[in-house]
Amino acid sequence: MQLNHAQRELTVKIVYYGPGLSGKTTNLQMVHQRTASDVRGRLLTVETHDDRTLFFDLLPVFFSTANGFKVKVKLFTVPGQVIHNATRRIVLQGADAVAFIADSRRSMGPDNNAYWKNLLENMRENGLDPAQVPVVIQYNKRDLPDAKTDAEIEETRKKGKEPVVGAIAIRGVGVLETLHAVLQVGYRAIDARAGLTKNIGLTEREFLGQVFANIDTTGTELEKAFPPRKVEAK
Amino acid sequence: MRQGESVLQRRISLGEMLDGESFTEVVKGFVELYRVGIKVFDDKGAKLADIKINNGDFCGYVFSFPEGRRRCTATVGRVKDGPVATTHGARLPVLESDLVPQARGMVTVPCFTGLRYLIMPILWEGDTMGRVVFGPFTPEDLVDFPPRSLTEVTDAFDVGNAKTLVEKVRRAPESTIARIMLHFGQLMQTMLFAGQKMFLTSQLHIEATLEQNRELEERNRKLEDMNTRLKELDRLKSAFLATVSHELRTPLTSIIGYSEMLAEGLAGTLNDEQVDYVRTIMEKGETLLKLISSILDISQIEAGKVRLNFEPMDAIELVTSSVSSLKPQAHKKGVVLEARVPSRVAQVNGDRDRLRQVIVNLLANAVKFTPKAGRVTVTLSEVGHQPDLNAQGYRIIVEDSGVGIPADQFDKIFHSFYQVDSSSTREYGGAGLGLAIVKSFVEGHGGVVRVASEMGHGSRFTLILPVVPSLQPQVQITPPVTALQAPVDDRF
Repeated sequence: MQLNHAQRELTVKIVYYGPGLSGKTTNLQMVHQRTASDVRGRLLTVETHDDRTLFFDLLPVFFSTANGFKVKVKLFTVPGQVIHNATRRIVLQGADAVAFIADSRRSMGPDNNAYWKNLLENMRENGLDPAQVPVVIQYNKRDLPDAKTDAEIEETRKKGKEPVVGAIAIRGVGVLETLHAVLQVGYRAIDARAGLTKNIGLTEREFLGQVFANIDTTGTELEKAFPPRKVEAK
Repeated sequence: MRQGESVLQRRISLGEMLDGESFTEVVKGFVELYRVGIKVFDDKGAKLADIKINNGDFCGYVFSFPEGRRRCTATVGRVKDGPVATTHGARLPVLESDLVPQARGMVTVPCFTGLRYLIMPILWEGDTMGRVVFGPFTPEDLVDFPPRSLTEVTDAFDVGNAKTLVEKVRRAPESTIARIMLHFGQLMQTMLFAGQKMFLTSQLHIEATLEQNRELEERNRKLEDMNTRLKELDRLKSAFLATVSHELRTPLTSIIGYSEMLAEGLAGTLNDEQVDYVRTIMEKGETLLKLISSILDISQIEAGKVRLNFEPMDAIELVTSSVSSLKPQAHKKGVVLEARVPSRVAQVNGDRDRLRQVIVNLLANAVKFTPKAGRVTVTLSEVGHQPDLNAQGYRIIVEDSGVGIPADQFDKIFHSFYQVDSSSTREYGGAGLGLAIVKSFVEGHGGVVRVASEMGHGSRFTLILPVVPSLQPQVQITPPVTALQAPVDDRF
């Protein structure tokens, strides 16, 4: 988080982390598709020829608060391949919250665990306290044959304090719900640290409201809370 | 810890996002195509491009008068540094209605000469990164040229000359220039996106490389530290073992010696039961002494203190004498022990005492793990070519009909202190040093040890030794198997 009082600007950093090919970039692509073009930048992706993220993906979303504060939410993904650990660590610098994209398939359990440990390690290396950086877990690829059952996922949820969201990112299922959850925990962590409500008059309600007012929530669990606006997302 | 902050953590400037030279080329092309000057500034007022066209003569003429120069400088200052807002003499441009929504933020700054400028902010992800200035151009709606604000700069103003010079400046409706400007803005967005991508990725590539380098250096340093520490620990351990073994051996020798004297009746006659007890004390003492000797051997091997002494030796004698030293044990256990040796073997080189210890260790194991009525054989081959060594050599094979060794343990049994059954209730005694010594001595000769076994049917150890030892007679030991790291609780 970067809070610049002189320029009245707040930058929030969210990082999508997880094993290779678990769907981090797909999540960002779906958010990009659903977000009105006037509140987001282009989706910056650097991929190798076989669709593997090489450095990171970046999708900025921005708005101005009622108090005239400029807020930028930067959504990043890390490269998932093992060899890119140095890059993962750099992208993770200064993260306010992390969406951990896990692969639901049973066979991917060891990978999920390895990257979970890698996340905690890299947080510590970056001087981030894993206890202070909130994480939301997305169980992606719920539709695949080998996927864990809901009961098994419930077991995983009970093992920690992180919110868990099921998803089929490629069809957009659970993507906005994950974004909502990670922005919510991220806001709360920053608010606890920097007093967003008190110091710049930005409440959780306004923060989430401003972001989701410009995202097409049709067909998601967020549709009721954030009715899609009439203007079509380009 | 990492060095410095990543480029991803800071705001990047317009200059970083645009490649200076190619951007200037694009601007130049635009200027030549549409015949209107373009200037681009970043948000700090730094100039990124400034291409003029056709207004030089007219502006130069106006600039030649002191008051003209003053007013010109003020206008240029307004355009360059003034707010991109409808204040300080700026107003909204006159546009065709379809352009209005796209042209948000664009303003018109009139020049005192009657010409005009259009200014447009460069917006990027909600930030104003700088501005684009188009002009000066002659607006289509300018009819009474030259205006009073121009003629009043000097009494010497030549209207005819000014009219001729201003003809060269592009004349167009404000709306047309605005349209060109919007088109330029779109192009710039694309260039900014490509430029940002290139800048960020190249920077990140550098950062990642530096980070990897740092990581490797750190790892190397840690490994070096650890290596130094381990070497020191290892030395301490070996020294400790050597001292302790020595200190244990001295009193033990006395225990055995005195028991022997007692058993032989030197201190008076003992009854049968007493003799039996004393002999047990002696036997157990001998066992303990052997164990301590093994520990001493291992610690000396580990400390690098053992040097093999290669000399010509008789392989047949080596095998038969080893067998005879184990005969009493085998006999006592009811195990048949036999040696199969050829009638003649070519002379070989080796450290006879160490090799004898090797065979004795293997035989002792074989007898230990073979039940009553079992059979242990040791076979000596003739000298011939040994593919395993790619040299002339011979084999000594120790076979038993004992309990056998699980196949997954074949490697581990040669590590020091390793035992197939290490439970506290295990059936067979020993410290797990015998085979470690075997392996290190055989390898010290440039030979190899092979093991084959079938559970419940027996084991076969094959020593393949060269006729002439090929290695430096420095003996090494295979370190004990380290326990795997304790598993951490998995999150998934």
